[in-house]
Amino acid sequence: MKWKLPYLSNKGKIAKPGFWVGLLIILAVLPLFIKSPYLIHIINMTFIYILVTVSFRTILTSGQLPLAHAGFMGIGAYISAIAAKTFGVSPWLSIPLGALVAMGVGILIGYPFARLRAVYYAMISLFFGMLIISGVKAFAKWTGGAAGLTGIPPLFGFNKVPYYYFFLGLTAVSLLILYRLESSRPGLNWKAIAQSYMVAASVGINEARYRIIASAIGCLFAGIAGATYAHYSTVVGPTSFSFMATIMLLIYVVVGGVGNFTGPIVGIFLLMTVPELLRGFREYVPYISAAIVLIVVFLMPKGVAGLVNSFLSWLAELWKKRRTRDAS
Amino acid sequence: MLLELDKVSKHFRGLVAVDNFDMSVDAGELVGLIGPNGAGKSTVFNLITGVWPLTKGKIIFDGTDITDKRPHEVAELGIGRTFQLNPLFSDFTVLQNVVASFHLHPKSSVLGALFNTATYRRNEASIKEQSLEILNLLGLDKVKDEFGKHLPHGHRLVLGIARALAVKPKLLLLDEPTRGMSLEEIDLALGAIERVCQQGVTIVLVEHNMEVIDFCDRVVVINFGRKIAEGSVDRVRKNEEVIKAYLGDSNAD
Repeated sequence: MKWKLPYLSNKGKIAKPGFWVGLLIILAVLPLFIKSPYLIHIINMTFIYILVTVSFRTILTSGQLPLAHAGFMGIGAYISAIAAKTFGVSPWLSIPLGALVAMGVGILIGYPFARLRAVYYAMISLFFGMLIISGVKAFAKWTGGAAGLTGIPPLFGFNKVPYYYFFLGLTAVSLLILYRLESSRPGLNWKAIAQSYMVAASVGINEARYRIIASAIGCLFAGIAGATYAHYSTVVGPTSFSFMATIMLLIYVVVGGVGNFTGPIVGIFLLMTVPELLRGFREYVPYISAAIVLIVVFLMPKGVAGLVNSFLSWLAELWKKRRTRDAS
Repeated sequence: MLLELDKVSKHFRGLVAVDNFDMSVDAGELVGLIGPNGAGKSTVFNLITGVWPLTKGKIIFDGTDITDKRPHEVAELGIGRTFQLNPLFSDFTVLQNVVASFHLHPKSSVLGALFNTATYRRNEASIKEQSLEILNLLGLDKVKDEFGKHLPHGHRLVLGIARALAVKPKLLLLDEPTRGMSLEEIDLALGAIERVCQQGVTIVLVEHNMEVIDFCDRVVVINFGRKIAEGSVDRVRKNEEVIKAYLGDSNAD
């Protein structure tokens, strides 16, 4: 069975680099105007989840559905938290450690899993994700079990603003790396494998190698996000890294648009950030989210980012037509 | 000798798909591999390119034993191939199809791509240039920005050949390059094959179309996984067993 994903060509970009630089500048001065720590907290969580979801999509572009992705975030979080809390390692060292362990496990399971494709990979990774959660519960002495691990040393104390800049920088650099990879040769190989592994192999692309690379990179960034999250919230529990959490990632990506690098960001914003801001209407939020998901699934086959892209290229087309008409 | 198959057999559980099959190809030849449907022609291609492991036998290519090599390793050694079904990356444009197929020449590292090094940029520029050359050669330059899935059937198969050329093959395996084509499409495909031949690429092709088979220097006939005849097109045409395989006993012409 083949896993088919709706890819756009590289032409479909939401905006030019200038747009992103401008956005970065706006985000850099934003905390000067936001006085509510709660609002800053929501933005911080948005940054973390953008990183997780974009790295989830990176693995998706290689044609695999990684149903253990939130679990890898958990590996990063727990390894870093335990190293810092129990062994007194500085969070600045334990975070890279947690991320590298997540990447290492990603490579280790990537190796035998690279032979499995599509549905089989999805199934095995699903079980692996459950294994991670069982592991957390089984080693309660280290991990705090189902009740969660508390008292993790924070990265910057309890003021949320330093975290804001930290996450802004981290997410920006990480997204740049992931974007570079996707829009260059490795990304081309991933998409080629996803479309037809037979044809890809016939031109010399080592399918297993590139699937493992995608898995390693995706798990590395999931681990980074998980580890920084642990030292930000100072409390972690297994539910944040469960199968349901991975399914939420998948929903964010599908709603935002699988074919677009910006898709996961749009999805996170629509389904995580906005509902969080609307918490005055908390009881209606699930209905609104469900309605958004249904509308997107039925009316926008390329997700919200895909729709925005189509709209922008339609506008550009219109503009070009007008210019040529004016010229003649 | 460029390619040599030595007593190659392939069993799928109880089914004998290829049985003690010998074949050799010299550099510069155009060899046709023909036989009725289900005779094992495509299986032979899949054995050469490492898609399936052999049950018995040995395959030597250009002095290297490729019996146990995997598909991407076989491509690295210089064997390009096309497929009957799914010949291309359907969500890429025609140009992207060929560019993506230039994985080996030149090869770039993941880190080079990440940091967009001068070498990487030079490699990609040369890849784009070479891809456009191939599209020009095969007459696909006019459709280079079309998506694979929007291409007409004939163009798809020719794009398959363009893709295979990106591995800079010494040997090209074409699996029914004119399958199901209209007359104009066959012209496009034949033109493409002819120009590839002129570049000095050795070709083995599986085909049913006599017009294409007439081009071949030599044909090998396979039926029920065994070689039943070999030689020039005219000689093979008169071979009793070949006539029997294609037309049955009572129907010989």
